[in-house]
Amino acid sequence: MNDMSPEKKKSGLAKWSRRGFIGAGVLAGGGLLIGIGVRPGNPIGSLASKVAPGAGEQLVNSWVKIDMNNVVTAIVPHCEMGQGAHSVLAQMLADELDAAWDQVQVMQAPADGSYVVSDTARMFAAPFTLNAADWLEPTWDGLFTQLGKSMDLLITGGSSSIRTTGQNQMRIAGAAARQMLVGAAADAWGVPASEIATRDSVLTHEASGNSAPYSEFATAAAEQSMDHTPTLKTRDQYRLMGRSKARTDIPAKVNGTAEFGIDAVPEGLELSYAAVVRPPVPGTNVTAMDASRAEGMPGVLQILNMGNFVAVVADSYWQAQQAVNTVQIDWSQSESPVRTMDDQFAVFAAALDEAGETGGNQAAARGDAPAALAEAATVLEAEYRAPYLAHAPMEPLNCTAHVADGKCAIWTSTQVPLMARSEVASTIGIGADDITIHHPYLGGAFGRRLGSEYVAMAARVAQATGYPVKMIWSREEDTQKALYRCADMSRMRAGLSESGALVAYDSVFTQRHDPAEACVPAIYNIANTSVRVAEAELHLPFQAWRSVDHSQQGFFIESFIDEAAHAAGTDPLEYRLAMVENAPRHKAVLEKLAEISNWRGPNAEGTAKGVAIVESFGTIVAEVIEVDMTSGKPKMTNCWAVCDAGYVMNPDGFRNQIEGGIVFGLTAAMYGELELKDGAIVQSNFHDYKMLRMDEVPNIEVALINSGDVPVGGAGEPGLPPAAPALANAIFAATGRRLRELPIAKQFT
Amino acid sequence: MRNRAILAASLLTVMVTACGSSEQPEVLEQIVVRERGEAAPIVQADPAAPTDLAALGEDAFQMCSGCHAIEAGAPSSAGPNLRGVVGRVAGSLDGYPYSDALTGSEVTWDEASLDLYLADPAGYLPGTDMLAGAVRDEENRAAIIAYLASTSTDDSE
Repeated sequence: MNDMSPEKKKSGLAKWSRRGFIGAGVLAGGGLLIGIGVRPGNPIGSLASKVAPGAGEQLVNSWVKIDMNNVVTAIVPHCEMGQGAHSVLAQMLADELDAAWDQVQVMQAPADGSYVVSDTARMFAAPFTLNAADWLEPTWDGLFTQLGKSMDLLITGGSSSIRTTGQNQMRIAGAAARQMLVGAAADAWGVPASEIATRDSVLTHEASGNSAPYSEFATAAAEQSMDHTPTLKTRDQYRLMGRSKARTDIPAKVNGTAEFGIDAVPEGLELSYAAVVRPPVPGTNVTAMDASRAEGMPGVLQILNMGNFVAVVADSYWQAQQAVNTVQIDWSQSESPVRTMDDQFAVFAAALDEAGETGGNQAAARGDAPAALAEAATVLEAEYRAPYLAHAPMEPLNCTAHVADGKCAIWTSTQVPLMARSEVASTIGIGADDITIHHPYLGGAFGRRLGSEYVAMAARVAQATGYPVKMIWSREEDTQKALYRCADMSRMRAGLSESGALVAYDSVFTQRHDPAEACVPAIYNIANTSVRVAEAELHLPFQAWRSVDHSQQGFFIESFIDEAAHAAGTDPLEYRLAMVENAPRHKAVLEKLAEISNWRGPNAEGTAKGVAIVESFGTIVAEVIEVDMTSGKPKMTNCWAVCDAGYVMNPDGFRNQIEGGIVFGLTAAMYGELELKDGAIVQSNFHDYKMLRMDEVPNIEVALINSGDVPVGGAGEPGLPPAAPALANAIFAATGRRLRELPIAKQFT
Repeated sequence: MRNRAILAASLLTVMVTACGSSEQPEVLEQIVVRERGEAAPIVQADPAAPTDLAALGEDAFQMCSGCHAIEAGAPSSAGPNLRGVVGRVAGSLDGYPYSDALTGSEVTWDEASLDLYLADPAGYLPGTDMLAGAVRDEENRAAIIAYLASTSTDDSE
């Protein structure tokens, strides 16, 4: 076992394939729950060389491998961008496998179509099927793996890793692998499988005194048939899930050995470096280029007019950037009517004017909102605005590309390696199969790296020059010429009964991207609700930004609900509680929040509190923010958050994500804004696109509720949406001033 | 019925994201200055080229241009646009978010104050946001200041 020749390995795999999959007909069509390499036409042998190249390594199944030193490696399809997905997915797999945590390693799955995260595809394409009846599972999963492959959905986003890939693939893979190990040991020892216990990567049969590490049966296990619906653990049996296990990626990030996309130094390639200038106004092109000064500058190799951008390739990045700064570029005229943000809001307003009180596309409707508004004792109306926002990840956008002999190799930080591959393929005319994407850690993304235009740009420069090229965008390029969280405007109306109860709700806005339900105040029991979209053109290109539509809709909806509460003369938290009377989870979250924030007690001297609650990505999060306005400017002192994700797999990691979401949301609420001048973005770098400083961040306390038998929710995004409205509502409570647009800081100078 | 609507809407978003923009123009111009490994071409000194301090300063200003624009009307980037800075009150360019150290300095930039500031920005104006870009070399500093001063003269002509 410890000396496996390639031949032996090959024969073992072939046998597994035949017995495990062709033999089990149901699996052939729908046996995809366990991942890849488990169906005809996609033999595990072809993947073995990619993920288990080491001598003595035996691939037990596609999501886990066990080597001769008894090290279990979880092969994780999602990328690691600081959110901790690698570690927690391994934790989930290792728990079902009964693996020793200190002998578990994580490996990034290669950018191969076999690793599409079919469950994530399902969540994006048809969320209602995730909780489909058991008997539909094989059908749905097969369908979505095909769909996912065709749409390149090897994707990390949507706060989805745990609740889709983790719950429905990694755990099943771990449990199936455990069963196969047990089966192999039972055969060898001649004892019933049911009498074999597993723990810490060791198999034990107490009665016969047999005991062996997993590695001893890894090869034999591969010949066992695979159960496509292995029994999963119940919560009382968890040993790793639900525990704050230390993240596997932290040591390398602390000691500096972790490799991010920008660190790529491909072996055997001598890199040149590219710096680029893209059009200041979206959609324009280079009409003339004067590079005479750059030609004489040190280190410069080539200067390229690529049509929609200019690149300088030099011996070092700094030389390339300095040289490209001196290139005089004339750009074509933009056809966009938007030159300033006033113009953009005028475009929104025109669309909303046209939609009027009942027009636009109905996104959701319940009861008869127009009639109920007409009959309401009190009608509130308000117009809210949200600005464009940049993602501003710490690691600048970058991509290293090499195009030679009809093949292309890419090293980059991406959330979508297969989409990036397709974009490169269509851009430089090389087939996807001849393109290899290497994707190490991401130094932040927040949705920015769901777009792949920078990858295609690097491939074009590499193809044109013939050199292996590392392209790095300056911070200014990333701030001013990227993809953005949309600006939007929402007009809202609320009808209150004599007693102040919210009996009618109507909103109309112009932007609806994802998730589809983000614009609907569905958590509240409002008898008459109308939600409408009056589409309007965006001047800046859109890209999903942490929590996507929830990021602006959370602010619109939860600020307006607060207005209704105050108009009704009711405490804002009690007002919300009354509207979630029949939703026990939401009620429990708000009650817990009232308790930990001492909501019903007196405020600390000079402070006031605001509350907001948003359910997003399967997780309910309510937040209270406390502000001190005594200086005339908002000073955030405390933030309390209560989250119900159904079940939290790693409490420390979950809190970490909620805190991150809150800080990201408060940064945007206080400072986030991109202004336009002559159609181009004014802000350029962190000095004018500000982040919250450490001393501006409130104390944050996060409480978790594991409410029970419901689908597990996400962590990466749900902390963000309540942050801005909770802050704005706190400022209202302190000052009586209602903030209907963001950012906040500049409104208090 | 509502499920169907969500399916359609979400699929569209995913596909739009997936397709991206693959319509790329051709390479319009490719200037090859030199091949890799070749020595840099020797730039012949232009006998007609001015050798005055301001011209030297214009080249030396390259080290500043990562943060500072100098073209008339160009937007400020990480640092303020420096066209016409000589004679300007410190921290006074419209629209640039200066630190309090600059706005409160009561300095009007001239050759002498720029010399002190560029030699040691944080030493001269503690609290400045200009954390990089000190010009330690005296000759370079003089040349850069001469170049900056020349942009003030240009515009007054």
